[in-house]
Amino acid sequence: MKVVVKNWHAIAQWKWDTGNNDADDGDVEGDVCGICRVPYEGCCPSCKVPGDDCPLIWGECSHVFHMHCLLKWIGTAASKQQCPMDRRPWVTAERKVDATTNSAPTP
Amino acid sequence: MSTNCRRRLIRDFKRLSTDPPGGVSGSPCPDNIMLWNAVIFGPADTPFEDGTFKLILTFDESYPTKPPTVKFLSRMFHPNVYANGELCLDILQNRWSPTYDVAAILTSIQSLLHDPNPNSPANAEAAQLYRENMKEYVRRVRATVEESWLDPDEQEKMKEDGEDGNAS
Repeated sequence: MKVVVKNWHAIAQWKWDTGNNDADDGDVEGDVCGICRVPYEGCCPSCKVPGDDCPLIWGECSHVFHMHCLLKWIGTAASKQQCPMDRRPWVTAERKVDATTNSAPTP
Repeated sequence: MSTNCRRRLIRDFKRLSTDPPGGVSGSPCPDNIMLWNAVIFGPADTPFEDGTFKLILTFDESYPTKPPTVKFLSRMFHPNVYANGELCLDILQNRWSPTYDVAAILTSIQSLLHDPNPNSPANAEAAQLYRENMKEYVRRVRATVEESWLDPDEQEKMKEDGEDGNAS
């Protein structure tokens, strides 16, 4: 018997690696931006296309938001430059790359 | 005109409907999503128990960067509620965070009924009675609980008749 593949569809799925997937298991609110309440994989209310043009931003405090949502808040005097979740001074963290899933082995 | 705020309010409404916190309810006006009516049930084991206190929340386009204005429509006797129904509550002023939603606002107000803060009084008389004469405080609050069951027109009529709740 010979199988001939006539055509095929590639399907890809993407997800931001927020680094705290385990902690959010079972929490329905876990995967939404705390400011606009839209899923991280969606985009902030000011954008039309999700993905690299509407990235996430990480704080040293470990909280994650859509970058546009967070910057809009931090830009107001009322924010006192604090994280909206824990009121600690907002310090943008370097993207935490999970070695097991993301980084290619370096020579 | 920005729709960001409306989109967020729809999400707030969805959350409030699917996962409602106990003792509060709220919904946007059918013809204006920027205007919400809400009810807070007086928490058990407080003088406010069994009250159905109506509020109105007014949002503008800057929500959730800025908080809504929140006002009691029902007459209140509470150390942190002004005579016009406006509240003195830090999270609606200088401690606002854009992560709060309508559910969070309503539950915060509910807990304010539970734990008044007599140090920043909006109603000096209520604050004083709360500190010094609990029995009279409870009596005055109970009067507002009974009034809260009337609809707004009836409450208005009671005010016109000169019954401001001070007389028992």
